Amino acid sequence: MIQAEQRPESGADNGVTPDIALKDILSTARVTAGLRASSKKKLLERMTDLLLEGTSGLNENIVLQILIERERLGSTAIGKRVALPHGRVPELDHAVGAFATLEPPMDFDAADGEPVKMVFALLVPAEATEAHLRILARLAALFSNDAVRESLADTMDASELYHRLVDGDASTTPG
Amino acid sequence: MKIIILGAGQVGASVAETLAGEANDITIIDQNEALLRNLQDRLDVKTIVGHAAHPEVLEQAAAEDADLILAVTNSDETNMVACQIASTLFHTPTKIARIRAAGYMAHPQIFRPDAIPIDVIISPEQIITDQIQRLIEHPGALQVLDFADGEIQLVAIRAYYGGPLVGHELRDLREHMPKVDTRVAAIYRRDRAIIPEGHTVIEADDEVFFIAATRNIRAVMSELRKLDKPVKRIMMAGAGNIGYRLASALEQKSYVVKLIDHNPGRARRVSELLHETVVLQGDASDEELLASENIDNMDVFCALTNDDEANILSAMLAKRLGARRVMALVNRTAYADLIQSSVLDIAFSPKQATIGSLLAHIRRGDVVAVHSLRRGAAEAIEAIAHGDPASSQVVGKAISEIKLPEGATIGALVRDGEVLIAHHDTVIRSEDHVILFVVDKRFIPQVERLFQVGVTFI
Repeated sequence: MIQAEQRPESGADNGVTPDIALKDILSTARVTAGLRASSKKKLLERMTDLLLEGTSGLNENIVLQILIERERLGSTAIGKRVALPHGRVPELDHAVGAFATLEPPMDFDAADGEPVKMVFALLVPAEATEAHLRILARLAALFSNDAVRESLADTMDASELYHRLVDGDASTTPG
Repeated sequence: MKIIILGAGQVGASVAETLAGEANDITIIDQNEALLRNLQDRLDVKTIVGHAAHPEVLEQAAAEDADLILAVTNSDETNMVACQIASTLFHTPTKIARIRAAGYMAHPQIFRPDAIPIDVIISPEQIITDQIQRLIEHPGALQVLDFADGEIQLVAIRAYYGGPLVGHELRDLREHMPKVDTRVAAIYRRDRAIIPEGHTVIEADDEVFFIAATRNIRAVMSELRKLDKPVKRIMMAGAGNIGYRLASALEQKSYVVKLIDHNPGRARRVSELLHETVVLQGDASDEELLASENIDNMDVFCALTNDDEANILSAMLAKRLGARRVMALVNRTAYADLIQSSVLDIAFSPKQATIGSLLAHIRRGDVVAVHSLRRGAAEAIEAIAHGDPASSQVVGKAISEIKLPEGATIGALVRDGEVLIAHHDTVIRSEDHVILFVVDKRFIPQVERLFQVGVTFI
């Protein structure tokens, strides 16, 4: 089993489960800049590798299959060159995220037809809680911010990417 | 989709042909250079000469980028090893293989992910055998196709002069049959599709596709046509893989079967394997042989050799000599166009029957079954609706509110194992199996998009 380490957000203590912040599901090891992938399948494989960084108890093949099957149900590209591949994973007890910028950008069947430059992959427990499910809305809010997207596309330094993501998330109110 | 096809034989080539026309990225591997050159001349595909299971050949085919591998070489063993290699070395997400030998098929645990990882096993011979058998069980039908594990069937019939259907509006159907629910999914008139509506009047010679719960099919057919006499006596030409399978299935259901094959060795072998079937060695286009075996008493004559011309000729002859209904296996599309409904009653295309089972894995969205119809021009699809009104364009909507592309109709749903015939006010729920008929496959991408879930679906 994987140990959860979730710190409640301050100020959210009004009877509702607090949101899970990006810093609780991401680590610098799971962020990479300028990822090169020759196909969507290869990209999802690389995102699986990243998701497994520092996360014990996950099976590579199962995670890849889950991401591919979710993609088949409908593209997770949200437009504006961002995709959020995700899935529910049995026997996972907390959410795990990984982020990559792509070089070159890749076609991802986005509704706006734009090739994807930024990919945030997210795994949540099969028995996901409300807080887990809200991560996706939180990510969508983060990436809808033009300034955040531009600053992310602007650096090739992984730890810099991590900080920009986490800071951007901390100052974003989903809604 | 990036697809690698192993084997450029009949199945491989026809799949490549269908899929190359649909914006897929296709690579075909075969050891026979001439076969590949022929394909390359006709189609927009990449070809590689080599052994389909060798890692370096698969690597050359960019297997690490492939979404799907289709192993249809002539060798079961090559197909199995290729899937194993693709899985181990390249993590290929979907692996489909043709396996013929009954010995392997008898042990499904061989094909589990932790043994030989094959996701889908196809058997073109079994698919076509099942289709022919359903047609024999439903005399009068031109096509009978299963959906939702056989709970629902789509049936094509021809309306004829004086039949109970002709001259009436479709909305009268319900008055005719207050107890059985059915829906006309498509009508073809002089080879053109008509979108059925309540006021559509069926004409003689129309080809009518209707959908109903399998247990109601006979009742609906008897309403639409004066029910044809059940089939009892069947003569078949060709004791190959399909002929033998079909004879063996039919004799178990106590049909009276005669099977002709010109090859003495094969005729003998098959006669030892079959218990009730009369196996004859001879030429199925020999008028005297057919006459002496009472062809004029046969309810069905089926020509099932692997020779298109021989099949067409022997079926024509059988018809002239008095067989009630004649059917033939015809691989070449051009021939099938020429003969269906004019010369022969039914021409089956093995490749069209097979392609549907593959398309189910290629179509986007949660597609369970696809049947390719009208020589590939039309498709019937079973898709599962997922999500909620926020993430799905179909869930929570009544059928009349769904923005279906032109020429697409929803025929029926299966909800928790129960068949619901689609009406304009039927509301779709998450996890419903939805059966659609699409008259022109150009609209398939729109249907796929309709059933895809939004990003928020998790």
